[in-house]
Amino acid sequence: MRHLAYVGRRLVSTIPVLLGISVIVFFMIHLVPGDPARTLLGVRATDEAVAALHAKFGLDRPIWEQYLSFLGRLLHGDLGRSILYDTDVSSLLALRLPATLWLLVAATVMALLISIPLAVLAATHRDKLADQVVRAVPLVGLGMPTFWVGIMLVLLLALKVHAFPVSGFGKTPAQHLSSIILPGLTIALALTPILIRSLRTSMIGVLDSDYVVTARAKGLSHRRVITAHTLRNAAVSSITVLGVNIAYLVGSTLVVERVFALPGMGTMMLDAIFNRDFPVVQGVTLVFALMVVAVNLLTDLAHAALDPRIELA
Amino acid sequence: MRKPLAALVTAVLCLGGAAACADNGSTPSTSSSGGAAAGGDLVIVRPQDSVSMDNTMVFSNSSIWVFQQMFESLYEVTPDGKDVKPLLAESHTLSADKLTWTFKLKQGVKFSNGAPMTSADVKFSLDKARATKGGWEFLDVAIKSVEAPDDATVVIKTKYPWSPLLADLANFNNAVLPKDYAGKSHDDFYKAPIGTGPFVWDHWNKGTEIELKKNPTYWDAGKPALDSVTWKVVPDDNSRNVQIQGGQAQINENPPFSTLEQLKGQPNVKVDLFPSTKTDYVMMNQNEKPYDDVHVRRAISYAIDREALVKTLLFGNGTPANSFLMPNVPFYDAATPGLTYDMAKAKEEMAKSSVPNGFSTTFLASSGDSTDQALAQVLQSSLKELGIDMKIQNVDPSAAHDLQQEQKYQISHSYWTMDIADPDELVTFAVDPSAGSHSFYTSYDNPQVIADTKKAQQTFDTAGRQELYSAIQKQAADDAFMGFLYYSPFSYAYSTKVSGFQVYPTGNYHLEDVTLGS
Repeated sequence: MRHLAYVGRRLVSTIPVLLGISVIVFFMIHLVPGDPARTLLGVRATDEAVAALHAKFGLDRPIWEQYLSFLGRLLHGDLGRSILYDTDVSSLLALRLPATLWLLVAATVMALLISIPLAVLAATHRDKLADQVVRAVPLVGLGMPTFWVGIMLVLLLALKVHAFPVSGFGKTPAQHLSSIILPGLTIALALTPILIRSLRTSMIGVLDSDYVVTARAKGLSHRRVITAHTLRNAAVSSITVLGVNIAYLVGSTLVVERVFALPGMGTMMLDAIFNRDFPVVQGVTLVFALMVVAVNLLTDLAHAALDPRIELA
Repeated sequence: MRKPLAALVTAVLCLGGAAACADNGSTPSTSSSGGAAAGGDLVIVRPQDSVSMDNTMVFSNSSIWVFQQMFESLYEVTPDGKDVKPLLAESHTLSADKLTWTFKLKQGVKFSNGAPMTSADVKFSLDKARATKGGWEFLDVAIKSVEAPDDATVVIKTKYPWSPLLADLANFNNAVLPKDYAGKSHDDFYKAPIGTGPFVWDHWNKGTEIELKKNPTYWDAGKPALDSVTWKVVPDDNSRNVQIQGGQAQINENPPFSTLEQLKGQPNVKVDLFPSTKTDYVMMNQNEKPYDDVHVRRAISYAIDREALVKTLLFGNGTPANSFLMPNVPFYDAATPGLTYDMAKAKEEMAKSSVPNGFSTTFLASSGDSTDQALAQVLQSSLKELGIDMKIQNVDPSAAHDLQQEQKYQISHSYWTMDIADPDELVTFAVDPSAGSHSFYTSYDNPQVIADTKKAQQTFDTAGRQELYSAIQKQAADDAFMGFLYYSPFSYAYSTKVSGFQVYPTGNYHLEDVTLGS
């Protein structure tokens, strides 16, 4: 529990970050032309009906006043009400958060499962054929757009071989799991090239270091040298790479959720933007921001766990 | 959060073609009746979610098509979209002065909460529907009073003779709801609505899916066959298509015309184009010069190559429009001399106009809307020949919608679909500036057309109404208040397991007639 105070301080320091994000999001979405009331009420909307809806959601008040009341509610844990669905934003988020979290976790796990063995293979067979192949092939994956990879995976693994559902999220955890594999793999394939390269490079650096030579000299098995000494030390820098990329991927869940019809936060965000559902846009952005902050925090904690020399302060 | 029944989960899992039961490829029914024609859980995939279940207020088709499975009206539209037939009403009589309508109600109809449907429910529902503001109350403006002299009789008095009444009563806003919302508040009622229809409310995960269950006590014995219907939101066109192929969904709502050829080639997928009432228009704002000049509007209307639009936008699945009314509404006149593509006539009209040497203008387009983009480009090149320099202003759909309604545009694009089996709904909206929309946001104002519209509302004999509506259509075409573009069908792609699925020209469908084979 030696990191508890550190975690607490980090969490407190996210408050100004979130506040800044809320200001930017709030004013940017209000700057875009378009009226949620008219979008919602459709072609026959009378001026009275539009005015009534404006009043109901406070859209008729000055923008700074709207922002202050948004902030005030936020302090009470209230994200406001969706204009489009007339439902609490927090309950909408509760419905949508699971799919996005499943997706991010599945993508990370799969990226690690693919990258670590391949990076080890490449590093231990440096400049040999295996190394060349491992370095070259994932680059192809890097060059392919995410949505296209997703569609190809569906065609191959869901429509030709009926191994996975085409898309959707199912209703039970077992269904969630089978539904999340293809979208997770889609993201993982975009992540692996970077991970393999960084892990391979740092492993090679470690393999050349004195303590690995010492470990070998004192007769440790090759396996133990790789797992306990090399991989652990090489992982520190790769975790930073992974952390940065996951934070970046939080944004790209939008594309993958759409291709795989996952009821996640990315699709909700897109709908909300098109419909000018201001409270939902604000709510989703805050949650996305929190996720990025959380991933960064976890990255730091993982560093400290792997390397006792790292002091968290 | 709701936990769905375990049985349903199994069924959906198997339907979904998930690993567990993909191999047998069958859809085992959870209902005890078994057999190919009974049971099953239907999944409809669609690009956007419903907005609300409030049948008196909502204009979104994706909401209407869902609550129509729960709510029923006194009358319903016939499959050809041109007439109505009794549904919850048994029969009606009309007084000699044509002001008092007396309806006998069908007996033995129950709401899904078990309460019998009576005239008190009808009176409550119609009174509520009439009292909305900014909803569908414009259909009911002619109604003076609704009375319920006994349980099985409803008397409606109108302020003046009103011939579209039965068509209006067939509309979903006049559906029969339980009196006093069965003891709930308005808001709570519409969160879990109750009606007399073949399906009953189950749950709605907003933005994701709506599920309705079979109404086991539906008055039309033996229906519906399905155990449940779920509408799922799948925004991506391609994802909806593969869900049908993968067996996770059975019906794909309105696949884009560009994908139809590819879909037709898929095994186990059927593509249907149902005749619709959808008509697309070029709107011209008469508050902006020079669109107040009829010669300019005619010139532009003549300059639109409708055949080319049907080919490029609808991939041939449509026909050029000659009237602002559509072939599937009563009193449409096929002989209306709508303006067709003719550059020579267009140039003649330009020469007669206030701007014979052309002018510059801006087309308001929705970004990302393929129809708007293609239309704008086709129009831009045609108008260049008339000396009109047309710029294209792309704004996103929500903003474009606002600018149209506030009439802050010069020239733009819109469309219409009918909800009732009477032309009055559209005619009033499109040509009567006092009806709330400034004549479809064009400010078109022709006293003769307005007078004919009012007269047609009060004329009961078919020949007389036809004469009036023919005159209105001819004059509207002559005034070129909009450029009528084309009529397009409703496209649906569905699994060959689905039978009995039919979409009416008004867009609604009757899922109680649908069965799901194995």
